[in-house]
Amino acid sequence: MTNSADLERRYRRLLTFYPKAFRDQHEQEVLSVLMAGAVDGQRRPRAAESADLLRNAILAHLHHMKLHPSWDYRHAVRRSLAIEAKHPRRSMLLRVGAGVWLLTLTAILYGYGVGDWWGLLLVPSAALHFYLAYRLRHTVQR
Amino acid sequence: MQEATFLILTALAGGSQHGYGIITDVEQISDGRVRLRAGTLYTALERLTADRLIGVDREEIVDNRLRRYYRLTRPGEERLSEEAVRLRSNANAAIARLDRIGGVATA
Repeated sequence: MTNSADLERRYRRLLTFYPKAFRDQHEQEVLSVLMAGAVDGQRRPRAAESADLLRNAILAHLHHMKLHPSWDYRHAVRRSLAIEAKHPRRSMLLRVGAGVWLLTLTAILYGYGVGDWWGLLLVPSAALHFYLAYRLRHTVQR
Repeated sequence: MQEATFLILTALAGGSQHGYGIITDVEQISDGRVRLRAGTLYTALERLTADRLIGVDREEIVDNRLRRYYRLTRPGEERLSEEAVRLRSNANAAIARLDRIGGVATA
């Protein structure tokens, strides 16, 4: 009994990655399906199952954006930059970390001889991260 | 049309079903090849509902849990039938050509 309660709690937590509109509509159902598919005594979601839920949560977000024509990416960008400006220190570290990670990834891909096209994509995104971190620098010092 | 979508519509062509029912039915239809995961299933169900190919048939509460039954709509029937005809014609063409070189699996 406690096992299945544990499992259900973990499934619920994974479902929080879905858009609210999706959860309002389907949370109960998805939980029923997940619990029906669980084996006796199972306490944790299987890895493949979690990956599937997270992947589809992203798709659900994309789907809901398309359903709302008022959604505007410029607005979303501005809003997320505003959130970053509120937590400059943490955001800056995150940006620098992301940039370094992307460069490491690029280096690894070049090492394996598949870097050409990835480099075109990854190096500019790393540069963008560094630029945004640099912009936050002023806010941190203040 | 993706195979998962095709199989979900085929499952519902046999009558209205709830989520877990669709999963087990799809597994049976595909001879155990396709086992849909919950996330994939509901992404597909949501998209098919938005496209009006399926609709909600009824809801039940079983063991304190909501069960929503889905059914195929008229447009869904038409779409599935078009797709089935297309797949059959492709399969026939493949079998006919393989027959000529003597390499077709007996079906």
